[in-house]
Amino acid sequence: MNVFLPNTWTSLLRSVTGGLPACLALVALLGIGAGATAVAVETDEQLRERGQAIYKSSCADCHGTEGQGEESIYEERLEGDDSVGQLADLIADTMPEGSPEECEGEDARAVAAYIHYAFYSEAARIRNRPPRVALARLTGNQLRQSLSDLYARFRGLPSGKLRPGVSAQYFDGDRWKKDKRKAERVDPVIDFDFGRESPVEGVDPKAFYIHWEGGIRADATGRYEIVVNSSCSFVMDFGAQDREFIDNHVQSGDKTEFRRSIHLTAGRIYPFAIEFIQRKRKTEIPPARITLSWKPPGQEERVIPARNLVADWVPATFALQTVLPPDDRSYGYERGIAVSPEWDASTTAAALEFAQIAYGELWPTYRREQRKQPGSDRDKMRDFLIRVVETAFRAPLSDDDRQIYIDRHLDQEPDDAEAIKRVLLVALKSPRFLYPQADRDRSRSLQVANRLALTLFDSLPNDDWILGEALAGRFKTESAVRGYAAKLVNDERVKAKTREFLYGWLNISHFGDLAKDPEQFPDFDNALVSDLKDSLDAFLDEIVWSESSDFRQLFLAKSTFTSQRIADYYGEAWQPSSEDASGASGSSELIATVEDPSHFGLLTHPYLLSGLAYHDATSPIHRGVFMIRYVLGRTLRPPADAFAPLSPDLHPDLTTRQRVELQTSPVSCQICHERINGLGFAFENYDAVGAYRTLDHEKPVDARGTYTSRTDEQVEFNGVEELARFVAGSDDAQRAFVARAFQHFVKQPPAAYGADTLEQLTKQFKDNQCNIRQLIVDIAVLAAQPDDLRTNPSLTAVSQ
Amino acid sequence: MMTNQTNRRRFLKDLGISAAAANLMLNLPSLGHAGSPAGKQRLVFIFSPNGVIPKHFWPEQTGSDFELKRILKPLEDVRSQVLTLHGMCNQIKGDGDGHMRGIGCLLTGIELFPGDIQGGSDTPAGWSQGISVDQYLKERLQANEATQTRFGSLEMGVMVPDRADTWTRMSYAGPNQPVAPIDNPYQMFDKLYGQTQNRALLASVLDDLTADFKKVERLIGQDDRQLLQAHVQLVRDLEQDLHLEMKQRSESKAGHRVPSLPPNVEEENDNIPLITRMQMDMLVNSFVGDFARVATFQITNSVGQPRMRWLGIDEGHHELSHEPDSNAEAYEKLIRINTWYCEQVAYLAKRLAAIPEPGGEGSMLDNTTLVWTNELGKGNSHTRNNIPFVLVGGGLGFKTGQALDFREVPHNRLLMSMCAAMGHPANSFGNPDFCGDGELTGLS
Repeated sequence: MNVFLPNTWTSLLRSVTGGLPACLALVALLGIGAGATAVAVETDEQLRERGQAIYKSSCADCHGTEGQGEESIYEERLEGDDSVGQLADLIADTMPEGSPEECEGEDARAVAAYIHYAFYSEAARIRNRPPRVALARLTGNQLRQSLSDLYARFRGLPSGKLRPGVSAQYFDGDRWKKDKRKAERVDPVIDFDFGRESPVEGVDPKAFYIHWEGGIRADATGRYEIVVNSSCSFVMDFGAQDREFIDNHVQSGDKTEFRRSIHLTAGRIYPFAIEFIQRKRKTEIPPARITLSWKPPGQEERVIPARNLVADWVPATFALQTVLPPDDRSYGYERGIAVSPEWDASTTAAALEFAQIAYGELWPTYRREQRKQPGSDRDKMRDFLIRVVETAFRAPLSDDDRQIYIDRHLDQEPDDAEAIKRVLLVALKSPRFLYPQADRDRSRSLQVANRLALTLFDSLPNDDWILGEALAGRFKTESAVRGYAAKLVNDERVKAKTREFLYGWLNISHFGDLAKDPEQFPDFDNALVSDLKDSLDAFLDEIVWSESSDFRQLFLAKSTFTSQRIADYYGEAWQPSSEDASGASGSSELIATVEDPSHFGLLTHPYLLSGLAYHDATSPIHRGVFMIRYVLGRTLRPPADAFAPLSPDLHPDLTTRQRVELQTSPVSCQICHERINGLGFAFENYDAVGAYRTLDHEKPVDARGTYTSRTDEQVEFNGVEELARFVAGSDDAQRAFVARAFQHFVKQPPAAYGADTLEQLTKQFKDNQCNIRQLIVDIAVLAAQPDDLRTNPSLTAVSQ
Repeated sequence: MMTNQTNRRRFLKDLGISAAAANLMLNLPSLGHAGSPAGKQRLVFIFSPNGVIPKHFWPEQTGSDFELKRILKPLEDVRSQVLTLHGMCNQIKGDGDGHMRGIGCLLTGIELFPGDIQGGSDTPAGWSQGISVDQYLKERLQANEATQTRFGSLEMGVMVPDRADTWTRMSYAGPNQPVAPIDNPYQMFDKLYGQTQNRALLASVLDDLTADFKKVERLIGQDDRQLLQAHVQLVRDLEQDLHLEMKQRSESKAGHRVPSLPPNVEEENDNIPLITRMQMDMLVNSFVGDFARVATFQITNSVGQPRMRWLGIDEGHHELSHEPDSNAEAYEKLIRINTWYCEQVAYLAKRLAAIPEPGGEGSMLDNTTLVWTNELGKGNSHTRNNIPFVLVGGGLGFKTGQALDFREVPHNRLLMSMCAAMGHPANSFGNPDFCGDGELTGLS
């Protein structure tokens, strides 16, 4: 039985000792008490109450009564994710500033317990200000994706199994003639130098025609440069059949390089065709050669690899070219929570751009398809526009709506192009399109379809099946919703959104220039960096879209992807696993590596390790911060001052580890660096370009490290292998991953869907063997709940 | 006042028009042409294909006492502004057939690159090796603040085939850089007025949008209305800006209003007269707005095949142009076809003659020279000697109301004269081998 320390007695003591000395008195008292087990174990409440009193008297002046900070004294809010124990140690070591000895031991623990409970912890913050699902407009990315899908409502999306490469037909003679076709095959890439030879057997080298067609898959959203190098006449269509992209119908002089840049939207496959002609002529023919290359955003120019080419027919695709202002990212994920004149102007420009493509491409096709139907052109145009607007609004239009959004504009405007422009300007600037959550007046099934599309691929529902099911009211049960989400999760668009999520989770898009000291790392060039990025992408895709989709494999996988260029640079551990892989030096084609004991998935990937290093040395601090903040999802305050790293030249005898220890030794640094360095040092076996090493400055590498978890668990590890095993099973890492995924896919805080949403999802994740795809489905199903169920949990779940 | 200023500047920026053009549009004091003492000078090249029937084209007399023959008759009303230049020869040799060199070297004065376009009986060729005179002048006019305009030059076309090859391009921004003419009037309208038009359209739908917001607001929880209200406020601000903008535009007395085009005109052979009219009207409008000082106006292309059914002629022009002179029926049809082209030149000339020069002296035609030209001298011989050069208007300051005959001179020299007359003399234009004798004399 516990004997409580009566409140009155505490107050009495405090009043006796008065103010700060009370700390000392209490420590003394509790010290005695601990010896005599019978005495004084406070309840948590009592401890907090005591902590509150100390906080009020000794801390609030600087930190504010609710930890909100005080102007020009200490402005930062007291919040974070340290455990009570960590906070107590911190307080004991550093607070009050200048005389930390005044609050130590049990006093520090009381203050820690109080602030942790009252306002510091995440739970406290959720309790104090329960987050809610806030209204948001479409983000820039959602606007792009929605317009692409609005276009796809008429043209469809790629389906079936898509083969890599590009389909090719070779003709004898300089034009398409069926009986002169000498070869039909899939070329892995377009990179040919035929010289003055025949490209395939039976074709006259003096006059031939090659027709390539297929699709180009964009992995990331951004500006791409498409580059064709050709010594002969060629015409390239891109995005749609007959949407001419590069016209070199006339081969003229020495002009052989053709470049054009275009903004592409991720998760889309763009059809293309190249007609390549060696024309018969009276003069000597030039040698024939052609390459199809690109420069993806932030990467080097190279031949478009087979994995980004599709050898099958794909439908026409629309990618918005309008420049959109960036969205708010203050919470680490994009949210459409603010409007500005620039943003408003960009929605006008986007609507007009879409109107142009609707008039130029969608309407003529629709009219042609409907030519045998009765009715005037205007009647058909009305039906066409109803279909566009209903898709944009994610709901059927009532008769009134048709009048408002369509009929009266058609009546006012005799010119077809202007009429379409007018209707689309009204519809695509309407809040019904721009605010997808304003769907309360729709049926539950329509809401579900709308929200799943928004969560899973930042867009709107657009295929016949789904719209049919939604209109028929088939998404009423949780299993129906789950079934639909599971069906959608393998979509190209979800893959693209997942990759964006993983980039955000790993903070990769914030990597700057990866250039390294040319003396130390002479062959580490941009082409290699591009290959490494491709390798990382392929690795992430492989893990996520494999059968088990196991999060833990991101840290444990022994094999990754390499190219000949990577293998040449990194040596044995990066050799391709299969012999038949083409080993042309400098090739960028990706092949799986052999399993190697030095590989631990992401954690030893050179792209990450080079990005988290200086140009001439490793950076345990960058690597540690990366682990704490992103992989383990813990909060860190920025350093009080900006520090330049100590130069290795000034300390030639120190290893990197020793140098970092030296620089971060002051107590004020150690508050955070104790945690940062402990994780960063574990990577010291991998140098500034991520190559394995056992010596640093001619001394054996010391890769021992430590970590204290959110639940105060102390972990020790030696090197990345032990660290990887810990991280893969770590609650902190899994929780961080789930939280990031939720924020990225839903663009709302998890707690807005219930205070324990994150814990529940993390538990489900664990129960499902950390299956990432399953997690995405779980998140989507949760976010598809209609508002009334969320705000009134007393209502039964959708499964009824 | 500050707010108004800022708003005006902002919407001008949004409109994407130069300060000079905007001032004119909004009837504000113009800054654009204050610096050019000689006034504005404009130059327009009008192209029609397949040569002419010289006997019914060229005046028989030279000097000011000349008679306009059948084909040139439509220019009678502006006779005093006409200058015919006989004896201009496109002597450029090298790769490419006669039609290719005819159009590709016409304004460039230089050879074509070797290439893979095999026409007729000559060696294959690619694009021109040099810049064309219109683009050369545009570059120089744009480089000078006093002659800078919103577009510098406009490249218009009528039914130019939808393929880029040596026969369809007359204007070059540099070696291997053909400039595609815009032959769709709606596309041209978009280029000239798209943004202005879209602003007007936007203004006209804002009421609908505001009503829409009111309805949607009911679907939003109280806590979330703030975002929606901020959005509505943006719409209201925009409405005010646009209201002011539209008001100023409608009060503008500069005579430069956004033209209105007949709706849904398809690009089809039979619409050539209508499209030509639409394009010419827009060209006149653009000059009133000082959007450009140089233009090309390309009716079809070299080897063009319009079928002038509106004249009762069913055969294509190029096909007819190969007929021997002895084919009286074809001969007569070719005269009528070329007369129709001349009527278009005359229409443009008369429209310009009817409009006083904005902010300047005389009529707009007094400050514009139309140059009607062709890839060939005569269709059935494919000669590039005596290619048509009929000038109308006073833009270049040449002495008009006369017929001149230079016997046989390389047309490069005329290109040099045009550069000099526009204030940017060149030591040579195109291939220097044809420029040794310098600019033509006796033009002014």
